[in-house]
Amino acid sequence: MKPKALIIPCSGIGKTLGSVARESAFRVTEDLRPETSRLMPLSPLVLGEEETREILASTPVVAIDGCTKSCAAKVAAERGGKVDQALQVSDAFKRHRGLKPEGVAELNKGGLQLAQALAEEVAELVDRMGGEVKNA
Amino acid sequence: MPELPVKKVGIISCSGEEMAEGTISRLATRRVLETLQPERTVTICLPLFLAGGEGERAFARHYPTIAIDGCEKRCAARGTEMYSGKPAGSIVVSDLYPRRNSELGSARRLSNQGHRLVKTTAAATSKLVDRLLGPRPLVGLKPAERPAVATKAVVTCSCGSGIPVKTLTIAGREIEVAALPVIYQSWRDSGRMPDQGVSPEMVQLVRVYNPIPENEEDAWKQAIALDYARFCSEAK
Repeated sequence: MKPKALIIPCSGIGKTLGSVARESAFRVTEDLRPETSRLMPLSPLVLGEEETREILASTPVVAIDGCTKSCAAKVAAERGGKVDQALQVSDAFKRHRGLKPEGVAELNKGGLQLAQALAEEVAELVDRMGGEVKNA
Repeated sequence: MPELPVKKVGIISCSGEEMAEGTISRLATRRVLETLQPERTVTICLPLFLAGGEGERAFARHYPTIAIDGCEKRCAARGTEMYSGKPAGSIVVSDLYPRRNSELGSARRLSNQGHRLVKTTAAATSKLVDRLLGPRPLVGLKPAERPAVATKAVVTCSCGSGIPVKTLTIAGREIEVAALPVIYQSWRDSGRMPDQGVSPEMVQLVRVYNPIPENEEDAWKQAIALDYARFCSEAK
């Protein structure tokens, strides 16, 4: 099954917001919209491999970035992807002030709740995206 | 060669979010940074080589780096070499522990075996750090004198390599030139005056940290000469 959207999270290793981005992406692609979304890691995109470029070229992207460096959105665009939605965890935090994320290797309760809230927002965006679910 | 910030080893991790070995790489990196070698390691996110500026791309030209990869694709090692500089060391998790079925867990939730492999990977990386920088000076120190580990360590991370950069307008474009402030300082300390111009040897030093297109070398020399003159006059 070809997904409607590629979910590309920040791969930030040192900051809490990167972990929230990654956890959100897992929740969308594994729990909330496993049939219509697919997680794509940034590493192979950095290398620009042909296989990943082909997938990118044919599937709209939801980038979930941890910080304003916007690596996920920038790298996806650089590699020829159509970034349909570029989200930032910091913006999600502004919408959910009560959910203060802490921790990196292990998110605290607030971080997990923020990841869930953001994942639900992303799932709704995926639902509204125009692409059809086609058989690969 | 100018003296750049304190010698540390840069750890660059795979970001493979679709496999347990990617998570193991990331957690092992953090274990090295926080617990095993907190004073001697820094990290940078692999995608910043593409998304960041010249300061980020210069990372592996300043720091000896160790790439920790989840699988044989070796995205971290290859990406680092492609955009920054060849890693001095490389660890591949799947080489340390060839996977059988899903006994390592998933990218999202590692099994106990997966968590054990985090420690193994971190220990192997820490040994490489010792090999690159020499062993940590623990022998002969009283416990109270040993470096603090674990709980209060701050991960020196990401989103900025700590390498000083300066923005110059070269050939009509604004370009971040890595290491320029310390290069200027080293020139000035060694008595190179700006009225002598920028010699090929000086350009060569700038080139160590920055890719200078061949057809723009004259433009780089002009921009650096002007900026160096400004640096020296401000320093008086």
